[in-house]
Amino acid sequence: MSTVTQNAARDPVAIRDGLLCGPLSQLAQVRLAGSKCTNCGETSLGTVKICPNCGRDSVQNIALGNRGVLWSFTIVRHRPPGNYKGPDPFVPFGMGLVELPEGLRVLSPIQCDIDKLKIGLALQFKPYVRHDDDRDVVAFGFEPTQG
Amino acid sequence: MSDVVIIGAGMHPFGRIDKTYEEIGADAASAALRDAGIEWSQIQAAYLSRMYLPATSGARILRRLGSTDMSITDIEAACASGGAALRQGVLAIRSGEVDLVMVLGCEKMPRGFMDPSMIYSPWQIELGMSLNPAYWSMRAQRHIYEYGTTELQIAKVAYKNHKNSVHNPYAMYRKEFSLEEILNSPPVCDPIRRLEICAPDDGAAAVVIASAKRARELGASGKAINIAACCHTIARYSADFRCPADSMSATANNPGPTEVTGKQAYERAGLGPKDIDCFEVQDTDAFCEIEIYEALGLCPLGEGGKLIDEGKTDIGGDMPVNMSGGLISKGEPVGASHLGQVVEIVTQLRGQAGPRQVANAKVGLAHVLGAGGNCAVTIMQR
Repeated sequence: MSTVTQNAARDPVAIRDGLLCGPLSQLAQVRLAGSKCTNCGETSLGTVKICPNCGRDSVQNIALGNRGVLWSFTIVRHRPPGNYKGPDPFVPFGMGLVELPEGLRVLSPIQCDIDKLKIGLALQFKPYVRHDDDRDVVAFGFEPTQG
Repeated sequence: MSDVVIIGAGMHPFGRIDKTYEEIGADAASAALRDAGIEWSQIQAAYLSRMYLPATSGARILRRLGSTDMSITDIEAACASGGAALRQGVLAIRSGEVDLVMVLGCEKMPRGFMDPSMIYSPWQIELGMSLNPAYWSMRAQRHIYEYGTTELQIAKVAYKNHKNSVHNPYAMYRKEFSLEEILNSPPVCDPIRRLEICAPDDGAAAVVIASAKRARELGASGKAINIAACCHTIARYSADFRCPADSMSATANNPGPTEVTGKQAYERAGLGPKDIDCFEVQDTDAFCEIEIYEALGLCPLGEGGKLIDEGKTDIGGDMPVNMSGGLISKGEPVGASHLGQVVEIVTQLRGQAGPRQVANAKVGLAHVLGAGGNCAVTIMQR
């Protein structure tokens, strides 16, 4: 009984409500959530009620594709300020805009050797579980496609 | 002839200042009043531009100048706060309710990267996507890819601005750096280097503005500088990739905030980029200045790098930019930065800029751009 309670308490949560879709306990099925507007055709990141482009409520929730291409990037050379949850001591990392087939570019950490970063790099979505003190959080990045 | 004019301008040097924000702000406000030749008690309304100061900072600063019951309002629009505040002052005068207004910009900021919780959501901070220069750098990287802009061209902007700053007593850093020193300075977020970005700091700048009629009555018409346009906008949908954006459209094709605000200001002033004799623009990083050359119409899209190569934006060039040394040298006390630019343009248009003077400057433009795509453009004319 106590085990069940403990497991229930550790049900993973998304790093932000409405940003991810799919069962969070099965990482292979987790995707970025998107909203496609049937009026203007724009797809935006996350679950929204009103299209941020045309302002109509004609949006459908969709799962965004898990493959994309690096559109631009930078290398973060200094530990970001505030409650950064990355490695301590700090390790420089790539961050970039990943262009997805639905017509949007999503900002994400890019998990690869920083020397490998280049515009056009083929990437895949990489959700992962982060163990915070009191909960398991599903966070995400993108990594180079394998094969 | 414009209906609202600047009759006084004053500034506290930008830098890391061992004084309270109230002291820094009151110094700049007093300097603007002295320059205008008027008393505090004559002012009918005041606006404070600030981002990082506490509530009612405007009243806290300006009460130091004497008892008042007039409306004093704090205005915040990120890096464009100063433009938004000046616009409120102009609109107040145009409404006819007041005809003599103080617009003050003041900020006091901690060293290092800006407090991310002011701008970013917790999840962005947790993933490390909360470093403002990272956003500037991704735009630079893409511009390099699309247009062949070079890291040397970006460094040349920093070289020019550091060089100009030597002659500006209001700048934080007044040191010239060689191109080699700039290119050898460590990257902060590739491809942007330490000597190519601005630092947050402290500072204040103020103007006294009046209706043209009131300026005449005060006998201040002779030195008055016309505000030909003062515009503030925020970026349209996906028109600008700047913090704290988490994504952008790959299909929407909206013009960027500098293009939109610049066009609005040019139209209201009845002027175009060729009519402007000197510019002060947002150079939070050296690449940003190149991007703004293009967005303000100083050159076609993709040719900003060529403009710096040709020296056209030097003080002796056809279209001088950031004669003051820009934010790269002055630092960016966010709420004060646009008013600081306005004070520089006023100084230039009065022919009082000393070694950094642009010969025979009659029209100047000040531009700021920041978080959320907040953009302001003010065009001034003598």
